[in-house]
Amino acid sequence: MEKTILVDHLVKNFEVTEKTPGLMGAFSTLFSPKKKVIHALKDISLSVGKGELVGFIGPNGAGKTTTLKILSGLLFPTAGVTQVLGFDPWERRTDFLKKISLVMGQKNQLWWDLPAIDTFELNRAIYEIPTRVYKESLDELVTLLDVGKLLNIQVRRLSLGQRMRLELVAALLHQPEILFLDEPTIGLDLVAQEKMRNFIYEYNRKHQATILLTSHNMDDLMDLARRVIVIDKGRIIFDGILEELVARFAKEKIIKVSLSKEADLKKFDTIGKVKRVAFPEIVLSVPRTTVAVAASEILQNFPVEDLTIEEVAIEDIIRKVFRGEAPLRKRR
Amino acid sequence: MKTAIKYFKVWWMMSRNSFMQMFAQRFGAIFLLIVKVLRFIFYLSFIYFLLKGTETLAGYNINQTIFFFLTFSLVDTVSQFFFREVYRFRPMIVTGSFDLVLAKPISPLFRSLMGGADILDLITIPPLIIAVYLIGSSLHPSGVETVYFLLLFVNGLLIATAFHIAVISLGIITLEIDHTVMIYRDLTSLGRFPVDIYREPLRGFLTFLVPVGIMVTLPAKALMGLVNLQAVVLSFTLSLVLIFLSIKFWNFALTKYSSASS
Amino acid sequence: MRKYLNVFKISFAQEFAYRLNFIMWRVRNVLQILVLFFLWTTVFSDQGRVIFGYDKAKILTYVFGVLIVRALVFSARAVDVAGEISKGDLTILLLKPINYFRYWLTRDFSSKVLNLGFAVVEIAILFPLLKPAIFLQTNGYSLLGFAISLTIAVLLFFTILMATNFVAFWAPQVGWGAQFFVIVVMSDFLAGSLFPLDILPAVVQKVLLFTPFPYLIFFPIQVYLGKLTGMAMWSGIVISLFWLAVLSILTNKIWRRGLLVYRAEGR
Repeated sequence: MEKTILVDHLVKNFEVTEKTPGLMGAFSTLFSPKKKVIHALKDISLSVGKGELVGFIGPNGAGKTTTLKILSGLLFPTAGVTQVLGFDPWERRTDFLKKISLVMGQKNQLWWDLPAIDTFELNRAIYEIPTRVYKESLDELVTLLDVGKLLNIQVRRLSLGQRMRLELVAALLHQPEILFLDEPTIGLDLVAQEKMRNFIYEYNRKHQATILLTSHNMDDLMDLARRVIVIDKGRIIFDGILEELVARFAKEKIIKVSLSKEADLKKFDTIGKVKRVAFPEIVLSVPRTTVAVAASEILQNFPVEDLTIEEVAIEDIIRKVFRGEAPLRKRR
Repeated sequence: MKTAIKYFKVWWMMSRNSFMQMFAQRFGAIFLLIVKVLRFIFYLSFIYFLLKGTETLAGYNINQTIFFFLTFSLVDTVSQFFFREVYRFRPMIVTGSFDLVLAKPISPLFRSLMGGADILDLITIPPLIIAVYLIGSSLHPSGVETVYFLLLFVNGLLIATAFHIAVISLGIITLEIDHTVMIYRDLTSLGRFPVDIYREPLRGFLTFLVPVGIMVTLPAKALMGLVNLQAVVLSFTLSLVLIFLSIKFWNFALTKYSSASS
Repeated sequence: MRKYLNVFKISFAQEFAYRLNFIMWRVRNVLQILVLFFLWTTVFSDQGRVIFGYDKAKILTYVFGVLIVRALVFSARAVDVAGEISKGDLTILLLKPINYFRYWLTRDFSSKVLNLGFAVVEIAILFPLLKPAIFLQTNGYSLLGFAISLTIAVLLFFTILMATNFVAFWAPQVGWGAQFFVIVVMSDFLAGSLFPLDILPAVVQKVLLFTPFPYLIFFPIQVYLGKLTGMAMWSGIVISLFWLAVLSILTNKIWRRGLLVYRAEGR
């Protein structure tokens, strides 16, 4: 089956001139600039099928956004093959551009001094959207994002949240087959984040659009992406289902205990690794294989009010992955 | 006396800061400098070649016409040297930094007007002065005429001061200061040539209402012996009145100041 | 195509959002023309005078011609390109199925239409006030040459403007400075908007006519005034076409290299 996105041994280097501070530095930079090469992407290969919802996570500078920019044709790959919908993104063919959309948090395409509807009309013409499709699309998006009353107000007079919703409408009017979302929930409050996630989920379900999103926010990934690609220092270190990441790594489980009265807390150290003490709550981590034994030991020896067994938080797993404590083999 | 010293010290330090800031954005500054110099050369060439062909302009010969232009340039450049800060006034108001200016124990008028002497003009002014001297002396003015010239030159600067004060006062009330400054520049640039070339009512307008004529043309005329003591006195009266009015306007504008919300 | 018509419309609407700005700009334009008008009227106060090959009517026609031609050739929105590149907003346009050059040319057109409209109104107001003698061209060939040279002038300026703005790819802070320099130097002097290049010594004129700048303002007006006809006119047009071709290719090359360097940043 034709893969929607195909990336093979992608490499991207950036050349940066190092500036020496001071007046002498300014002169020397002019005549013999010191160039440094940044290896943003070292060797990336991946493939995505139609309708998949994939989440990229990684620390800042890992290469997530660079990957998206290459896939949307903005950056020129140093080496390797990139193919999206059968096109070479760098050529930025009209047919290609009509089928994709890239949404980046702070970038605005709405014309600042005019009402949003004017930008929508402009996009209609640029993407050559047939009238019927345009109307349907507009209605659907306006309803989903609840911006009906905002269409005719000058964009500059709207709040950040309102503007971001309208930006989303503008980005999706042409019903792109592929949606690249760069940190879609950044800067939003909790409620707005949830709404955004719901929207993305619905959109993926309804339109079978392939969605690639990058995020720092674990909730984005947990709620949305079944498939997760972990990037660090320009390499993919995990590509697979989220549960697998957890299961493969999490050698431990978390036991949360709530005590009904005072007790000698030092004894917890013999059962497992105490992570946090905030009386009456105690949190400790225990090897996965012995969690049942540890739990019964606690119940027998302490005045327990409540006890729960949980998985290690994803954030912690990821953090450990990045610190190199969990060598994962990349899954093909 | 103490206040004067304090103000001079503050001015000196603000100018130093301004210099260092400019240096940080040196490319932009160098471009501006080059543009300024080129424009000057172009206008000068224009007048030169024009007068080569026509021999006189409104009765003035080539040296005289060039002198009018040089006087204009000197008044313009010196006032820009002192009052460059006016061009940064609007951002101060818009971002709310003006609040901090108002809160300091130093006249906000002084700060807004003279807080950013343009160091690049120290490069452009000396050659101008030399040029003024050279061409001026070719007109063989008498001692009295030279004195009148210098007096009226200072007078021109006083008028420029009044204008700049009015401009920033307007800038507090409306936000359209950018254009006000540019309109001021365009009007004064009418003074590149002797005001005589303009027909009434424009000439009257330029001589009395927006006194570009007095600011720029008159000093040059003084050097050519066309101005008497009465005119000098009247001009000073006018400029002092203008300064008085502009400061009143500034104080009025301050009462209308509503500080920008973040 | 429809998409460019839409760009035109939206750009036009955008200009109206800054009405005061625009009006001030026109006022300044008029002031500059007034200075020249009075200057030349004074020079030609003796009615029959002819200098530099101009009589009173022709020189005043030149001055008002500058008002019109400048509004047509120099009005541009593409001055925003440098800022767009340095702020990273270029990304948005790169993602759209639209040609970058055509997009900006269309936006320039909306500005030109607006400015030209106002210039015409300004002339309609000034003429009854100043009552200048004006030379009206009747020769068909001259008018044709005028139209052709104007079209080339518009495209030529656009090309130069875009190329200058592309400096922002390599030096984002300098972008605006470079174009300020280029526009001020070009428009005031070398293009002949301050004064007709005829007043310069013949040698200087000849040299200038080998650069592209005089073809922006000076040359088209000369053709209109009938001062350049036949071979002189056509060879001038050919030179300007040559410059247009060369600069277009150059600008395109710069654009391509710029894209390679562009990091799509500025979030």
